[in-house]
Amino acid sequence: MAQTDYTYPSVYFAYLFFALMFFLAVYFFLRSRRDGYWGENGEEAKFQMFDDDETHRRAP
Amino acid sequence: MQPQFSRAEVAKVPEGALVHEDSTAKWFLVSSVTYFFIVGIIALIIAAKFVWPDLMGTMSWLSYGRLRPLHVNGMLFGWLLAADMGLAFYIIPRLCGVPLWSEKLGLATAILWNIIILGAVVTLLAGLNQGWEYAELPWYLDILVVVAWIMFGVNIFLTVAQRKHQAMYVTIWYTMGCILWTAFVYLTGNFATLFTTGTNQANLNWMYVHNAVGLIFTPIGLAIAYYFIPRSSNTPLHSHKLSMVGFWSLAFVYVWTGAHHMLHGPISQWLQTIAIAFSLMLLIPVWAVVYNLFATMKGQWHQLRESVPLKFLMSGVVFYLLTCFQGPMHSLRTVNAIVSKTDWIPGHAHMAVLGCFSFFAIAGTYFVVPKIWGRVLHSESLANWSYWMLMIGGLGFYTTLWLGGFWQGWQWNNWSIPFIDTVIALRPIWLVRFFSGVMMFIGIVMFAYNILATVTGANEEAAA
Repeated sequence: MAQTDYTYPSVYFAYLFFALMFFLAVYFFLRSRRDGYWGENGEEAKFQMFDDDETHRRAP
Repeated sequence: MQPQFSRAEVAKVPEGALVHEDSTAKWFLVSSVTYFFIVGIIALIIAAKFVWPDLMGTMSWLSYGRLRPLHVNGMLFGWLLAADMGLAFYIIPRLCGVPLWSEKLGLATAILWNIIILGAVVTLLAGLNQGWEYAELPWYLDILVVVAWIMFGVNIFLTVAQRKHQAMYVTIWYTMGCILWTAFVYLTGNFATLFTTGTNQANLNWMYVHNAVGLIFTPIGLAIAYYFIPRSSNTPLHSHKLSMVGFWSLAFVYVWTGAHHMLHGPISQWLQTIAIAFSLMLLIPVWAVVYNLFATMKGQWHQLRESVPLKFLMSGVVFYLLTCFQGPMHSLRTVNAIVSKTDWIPGHAHMAVLGCFSFFAIAGTYFVVPKIWGRVLHSESLANWSYWMLMIGGLGFYTTLWLGGFWQGWQWNNWSIPFIDTVIALRPIWLVRFFSGVMMFIGIVMFAYNILATVTGANEEAAA
């Protein structure tokens, strides 16, 4: 039984995945601060969606 | 309803202007709407089987045990995720100000996704089932899902990489988060569980189930809401910084909540307590999202009278608040002792997946389909009716299951009541559930017919 039970490797695999996800989240969070999402110009992104070109579409 | 562009207007493309082909979005949206209708029939049958268990006799492939996973997988992956992917293929290029990186890759993704869903229909009805909630698909279909997701992710990320604007709107953050989180969550839930046993296997499975909702359908659903609420109301989002608070708090909090499905079960108390604590912390991202979207609509609520997409969107936000208040509350040990494993849980799950995220996807589909096909919506009145049928039917469905679930839980906590008596007692509840389901199905039929009639240009053919 011990030879075919992969419970612990699988659980460690899952924990490793989620630890990786946590550190990626920390990295991108810190990067979002560096890129100015929390600064004075942090609200600019919300106006971009009105900047798209709805009429510039190929006729069906 | 939003003003639509005529065929003549959309044909006027200035020289050198950006052109969105949208062929991938079209494929995903048409197939997802079709699956919504087909799987809706399955939903009705299994709701009827609660009341009339002998319905459809003893044919194994029409038994509850085979139809139920087909309903769950069909709605989650055939309808909702496919619709969300179609909407992402529409939204992301526009927010980035560039065409989709590869329409060919997108079309290949859509074809592969349809093969997966049709494969799921065959295998699940044939009884080929891994036996795990939300992870029922056989391993070979799981591998195809991973391949399709990589294709989707590559297309979206490379579109974002060549974006015109440096700053990314919150919808892009949530979409990219969904793509990355799904990779982790799906692999864990569908492959790591195969090599585990006992309690650890159950714990991994519930971590997957809860994160499938929290880290797949929640981020892509919120991405859609954050795009279409400002777009439909023609009003900028209240606060982009607050939306970032919601995104990052979701990123750090959600992943640890899955074990609350195993409260009072054979897992360590510290793991249960962690799950409860993080479940309560979910109120932070939820409130950040709900406050932001409600504040966006300040002074704009009158638009709901005219706009069917806005009706669906803002009702979805209310259901999001309700379902995300329920979740932390029934993670508490005392409440969980009553509602766990009862009808309360499907009531809660349906409000999340149908009342909230499907409402967002329906709104997006109503908004997008007339634009990308360059036609007016087939019927505004039918769209309005589809909203009210889904709304009233849904409310009947959710509240019946909450009340019935509490009643069921109280009966189960009284050991002097034989189990079969608790089943018989629930029959009136399931009858109301069935008729509420009929109303919802009528709403789905109206929605699907309206969209497909718009796509095929039924109005124009009639006029001709």
